[in-house]
Amino acid sequence: MSETTDIPKHDVIIIGAGPAALSAAIYTTREDIDTLLFERAVPGGLAAVTDWVDNYPGFPEGIAGLELGTNLQKQAERFGAVIELGEVLKLHDEGKWKRLETTSGDMLAKAVLIATGSDYKKIGVPGEAEYYARGVHYCATCDGAFYRGKRLVVVGGGNSAIQEAMFLTRFASHIDLLVRSTIKASDVLQKDLQKFVDEGKVTVHLGVVTDEIVGEAGAVTKVVGTQDGKKIDFPTDGVFVFVGLKPNSEFLEGSGIELDHIHLIKTDENLQTNMPGVFVAGDIRSGATMQIASAAGEGATAALKIREYLEGHAHPIQN
Amino acid sequence: MVKNITIFTTTTCAYCPMVKKYLGAKGLSYDEVNLDTNPERQQEALAISGALTVPVTVITKQDDTQEVVVGYNLAKLAPAVA
Repeated sequence: MSETTDIPKHDVIIIGAGPAALSAAIYTTREDIDTLLFERAVPGGLAAVTDWVDNYPGFPEGIAGLELGTNLQKQAERFGAVIELGEVLKLHDEGKWKRLETTSGDMLAKAVLIATGSDYKKIGVPGEAEYYARGVHYCATCDGAFYRGKRLVVVGGGNSAIQEAMFLTRFASHIDLLVRSTIKASDVLQKDLQKFVDEGKVTVHLGVVTDEIVGEAGAVTKVVGTQDGKKIDFPTDGVFVFVGLKPNSEFLEGSGIELDHIHLIKTDENLQTNMPGVFVAGDIRSGATMQIASAAGEGATAALKIREYLEGHAHPIQN
Repeated sequence: MVKNITIFTTTTCAYCPMVKKYLGAKGLSYDEVNLDTNPERQQEALAISGALTVPVTVITKQDDTQEVVVGYNLAKLAPAVA
């Protein structure tokens, strides 16, 4: 047990500031529960670096990811949520208090909500690290503008890959979309993509395993892949990678909080972990559906469960 | 001491407003070069940063030395503007 007298204390510390975290903060702060959020990157999370969000309820024409993230942040801050820019390094159970080691020093919280989400996964092939930010990218809305009139390769076949490939057509002269098996994106996105295929802006290559990213004189020149056992070169000026998500749960190593086989956090029906007082919402939760709308819903649910926990007894859900 | 700050941004970059917000909170003024509206300055941003990405923040000190911070990286940005 550490000495806790001089350590800053909060009712709730939320780790992350994506849709799940900000939705939870809207609920906790509206009930005057002292709430601090820790965000190491950008409020809004991965949603904020997504070009366009078409499936979040309430926006019939869709909404830019950055705008959605900013709106969520403003709404939480309107009720008193405080977002601290920094990183939580470790989490310890000290009974009534949870102690968080952060880049701003130690902090204590009666309850903790982990809503750290995920980051884009890397492919793990030669050339990927070497050309990072100099031809290999993971954020189309950040880096796409450097590829006006140039050829691009996009790797991936899920919703993010298709959405961002379509976004990149506003800059690139042509995009080769390399999909390891088949396209897993939603039917709506696949229909949208077909328009760009028909216009000759995107060529889809199914069953291609990306083997290597090759460059010359410090610039990417091609991607080498394998299709049906044959090596194929895809000449390109840059590569954007969207091959799935990597859970941001490394900081829980040694904490005693139980993770599943892919390092997502296990919870009970109250979204609580095996460490009492520590709750989880959004993409980092084992069983999550990886949707912005469901992350927001889980954030609201977690906030109500945290209120019950803080009150020390079950509480009927109120408006 | 900081003499001036230039940030290379794009319209859709989510990390760019974070840099601007941080500098604003510190009371620091800056010039912004939006590469969507000024694409002719992309090579300048690349030459300075060595990276095809934004935000790129260029901090010029009183002695005209420069520090360049690529991305939203508070660990580098905070001491550079201190």
